[in-house]
Amino acid sequence: MYTKVILVKDTDLKREDKTREFYTRLLDYLREASLHEQIQVVRVADIGVYEQGLVVKVLPDKVTYINVQDEDVKKIVDAALSDGKIIEDLVFKPKAKQCRIVLRNCGKIDPESIEDYISSGGYLALKKVLGELGQQKLIDEIKISGIRGRGGAGYPTWMKWNFAREMNSAEKFVICNADEGDPGAYMDRSVLEGDPHSVIEGLIIAAFAIGASKGYFYIRAEYPLAVERIQKAIKQAYDYGLLGNNILGSPFNLDIDIRLGAGAFVCGEETALISSIEGKRGTPHPRPPYPSVKGLWGKPTVINNVETLANIPVIIAKGGKWFAQIGTQTSKGTKVFAVTGKVKNSGLVEIAMGATLREIVMDICGGTLSGKPIKAVQTGGPSGGVIPENLLDTPVDYENLQKLGSIMGSGGMIVMDEDDCMVDIPKFYLGFCVEESCGKCAPCRIGGFQMLGYLKKISEGRGIPEDLGQLRRIAQSMQKASLCGLGQTASNPVLSTLKYFEDEYNEHILNKRCPAGKCSSLITYSIIEDKCKRCGICFTNCPVKAISGGKEEGYSVIQDKCIKCGRCFDVCKFKAINKK
Amino acid sequence: MNKLSPADLDKMSKAPVDKPKDWIKVGLSSCGIAAGAEDVFNFFVEEVKKRNLQIEIKKCGCTGMCYAEPLVEVSVEGLPSVIYGAVNKEVATKILEKHVISKMLVNDYIFEVSI
Repeated sequence: MYTKVILVKDTDLKREDKTREFYTRLLDYLREASLHEQIQVVRVADIGVYEQGLVVKVLPDKVTYINVQDEDVKKIVDAALSDGKIIEDLVFKPKAKQCRIVLRNCGKIDPESIEDYISSGGYLALKKVLGELGQQKLIDEIKISGIRGRGGAGYPTWMKWNFAREMNSAEKFVICNADEGDPGAYMDRSVLEGDPHSVIEGLIIAAFAIGASKGYFYIRAEYPLAVERIQKAIKQAYDYGLLGNNILGSPFNLDIDIRLGAGAFVCGEETALISSIEGKRGTPHPRPPYPSVKGLWGKPTVINNVETLANIPVIIAKGGKWFAQIGTQTSKGTKVFAVTGKVKNSGLVEIAMGATLREIVMDICGGTLSGKPIKAVQTGGPSGGVIPENLLDTPVDYENLQKLGSIMGSGGMIVMDEDDCMVDIPKFYLGFCVEESCGKCAPCRIGGFQMLGYLKKISEGRGIPEDLGQLRRIAQSMQKASLCGLGQTASNPVLSTLKYFEDEYNEHILNKRCPAGKCSSLITYSIIEDKCKRCGICFTNCPVKAISGGKEEGYSVIQDKCIKCGRCFDVCKFKAINKK
Repeated sequence: MNKLSPADLDKMSKAPVDKPKDWIKVGLSSCGIAAGAEDVFNFFVEEVKKRNLQIEIKKCGCTGMCYAEPLVEVSVEGLPSVIYGAVNKEVATKILEKHVISKMLVNDYIFEVSI
């Protein structure tokens, strides 16, 4: 039986992979020293450290050494076999670390078993709330914790609860907003699928705080597995007396139902969501009155996001003070981001507020997939903005992101490299908002459509310098005059790209050129004769027969026929296709 | 089923864990299923039965490493518990034969990302 395991991985992407070479060398050394029966050496696929040369990790000690050289082998093996000795000058000290509160159980417990959740400390917070705290102390605790809504706007949760609690009404409601619609964001789905009981417990606690006896899960119908698991979890909670009448033997009663969203992005906005539950068309209403005063069926209603609710049981169990230690001055706790786009390790990352974007993208997610430099990071989905590379050292919290012209949003984070065009990106997001606009108010309905027209015009090379001023003017009026968050924020992607990448817009307008090579109307493909080996692979792959010629006389692109799909560029092994 | 009282709840959360020592967890959230985790899960269940191995196969949610799905966490007595990524039936066989039976970690598929 082995006593130690040494994991090895070459993390330098720029050179040939040396993992195997080092692995053999380490094995040879162990054999020579007759230690190969005590230590197993294992090549791994990912060691959690990037761009640090050869990396070695000793298990079960969980000590990581970076930039390991051949002469370090003996030292490492000696240290691994000693009792807790560490080689100080090689040990890796992580800059950024994940901090798991919301995702505490995801990937650890069986989401379909309430026993698993309870044995990991679940529903103890509910017990504490019902038995010890009572309404006032509960809300005080949430106030101390400083948690703010994780749905995007960042409104203090305790204030929402307190408004609803102070309302004198026989009937009150709580709603869990699980209508996650931002392109590229799926944190809520993972929490609902991986740890449904934590959200249910949060919702029960919220209901108790305001005195509600009826709660709803509003989940988008596109999440069938999440719906199934929440359904199962609700049933289990009823069976155990954690829902229904006299919860845990107390006088508190609560019933929870599921409502499915029918695929409208705007229904994630709270007033539209309420209309949708009431069976009406999902269109927003002017606020105030806010839902905590007059919400579902005209009664006080608290609407919280999935992530906010998943935080609540931990805050109660560990105390508001503990939670308030994590994060920055104004934003407490952690935030889950769904990091996608041109990034090596796309997935969910939960970090304490105040970590920088660069730490998230480079240290945790391993940088870009292509190895090309990052151009920008987009946060907050269609309501957010684009943050350029030089501002990636900004600590993430609600205020900082807003200052940069973006928003925290629900937690989508899309990484872009040089191949992404900063006219094309806002065009995509604006297109999304135009599709999803409910059409009730004119600024959003008409403004979005007009702006999209200008962006299309610019990307097709028909833009004039005055268009930029016009874009800004419409964007500002949309921000000021739109009825709900969708319209007010729809122009953010345009404004932020105009702010940081105006040069790129000008390049499209003045020189009719797309630097990223994305806008198909502005690029042409041609064959560089010197480099062409006349293999004919472009000729056979062109879907519209826009390449003429033969192996004898060489090939050329017929520009009139070319649809600019880029197929020839991708298949050419000799880089003989010029994209301009 | 009996409704829980606060005391029952305490008892359940403090109950001594008489879980089997060895287990394999397969991440079965949307991202895992899309990458083929259901096949891997069923494969493990069948193989363990066929080979009569004393190891429990469990489901879990997504740990967040969506780029490496399907993810399988293996905990066997005497070995550190590790997460294997990009697991298919071939890798699953290796995990059973090498990790579970011969008690050695499998090369090239471990994703050791400290969370």
